[in-house]
Amino acid sequence: MKNESATIDVPAESSSAMKGKAPLIGLARDHATTGSGGYKRGLSIFDFLLRLAAIVAALAAAATMGTSDETLPFFTQFLQFEASYDDLPTFQFFVIAMAIVAGYLVLSLPFSVITIVRPLATAPRLLLLVLDTAALALNTAAASSAAAISYLAHNGNQNTNWLSICQQFGDFCQKSSGAVVSAFVSVVFFTILIVLSGVALKRP
Amino acid sequence: MKSGQAEIMETSKGIQKSGLMSRRIAILEFILRIVAFFNTIGSAILMGTTHETLPFFTQFIRFQAEYNDLPALSFFVVANAVVSGYLILSLTLAFVHIVKSKTQSTRVLLIVLDVVMLGLLTAGASSAAAIVYLAHNGNNKTNWFAICQQFNSFCERISGSLIGSFIAVVLLILLILLSAIALSRRH
Repeated sequence: MKNESATIDVPAESSSAMKGKAPLIGLARDHATTGSGGYKRGLSIFDFLLRLAAIVAALAAAATMGTSDETLPFFTQFLQFEASYDDLPTFQFFVIAMAIVAGYLVLSLPFSVITIVRPLATAPRLLLLVLDTAALALNTAAASSAAAISYLAHNGNQNTNWLSICQQFGDFCQKSSGAVVSAFVSVVFFTILIVLSGVALKRP
Repeated sequence: MKSGQAEIMETSKGIQKSGLMSRRIAILEFILRIVAFFNTIGSAILMGTTHETLPFFTQFIRFQAEYNDLPALSFFVVANAVVSGYLILSLTLAFVHIVKSKTQSTRVLLIVLDVVMLGLLTAGASSAAAIVYLAHNGNNKTNWFAICQQFNSFCERISGSLIGSFIAVVLLILLILLSAIALSRRH
């Protein structure tokens, strides 16, 4: 008798078990998303730290080039004895471009924080990737054009009769070369930032 | 149960539609890669075949101009050649993206390589642009003489070859953007 009542109860249990299955599936889905959110959050934190480092590099480049004035302590009638970044339009472009890149990095810090807080949202990451690519292009352009002029200032060019000015203006040359190196460090940081955003955009 | 089946039908149609969109993005990427390849190879050839000899001479000044004379310009030729070679090789990967549907990890690889090539191409193009600007205008403060006043056709060629390279830079940025959009979609 008791067995018969147990068999009558079985279909009711199975239907309630079926009703109960849906929230279990929902819970399993939540588990999977929080799992991937964990490593994406780690990538976002690394992204934020890299941005801070890139801000330092870009500002250092702009500031070093901007304060690279040098005046030699003697003079003659014919030659120029002052050197500043103003004298070369490429260096002017370098200072302006690095300042723009540093400003962009500061403005992109809130978006990076958003990707830390909401690791599964793709829109902020996509926006950051696109803007980072444009900033990478600007940064590389500034750094490499200044590098070309620095190379010319160090070595001169015999075929075009361009003299190397570094033999006179040692300090100016050193500072401008240091600024170019700092700008290339910032380029490396940008490359890593873009790769991070690309990897974090992947949907598992 | 019937409503569940209807939802499954709707999501499968959504998958089909977004699969079509991904395929369109992949085809657009393929076409942009071909255009960028032609731009970079054209720039490299145009810069690499510069050779001008002026028809007179004096004892002191040189009257031949080649891209070899300026190291930034030879770096430009090398960078453009490397990027055009990469673009041809990546055409196969882009073709795979058109055909296959689950392309996440190869797209990430393509984004990484595209970013590296973008950096190289921009470096080459902008260092050559700095030298070309100097060749056009010279610099009073450093006593660097504008060589374009003597070598007209050489100057025109090196200025023109920069244009193709900068167009390829813009196309590479668009390619990275398209890859990122395709990566972030649901399918």
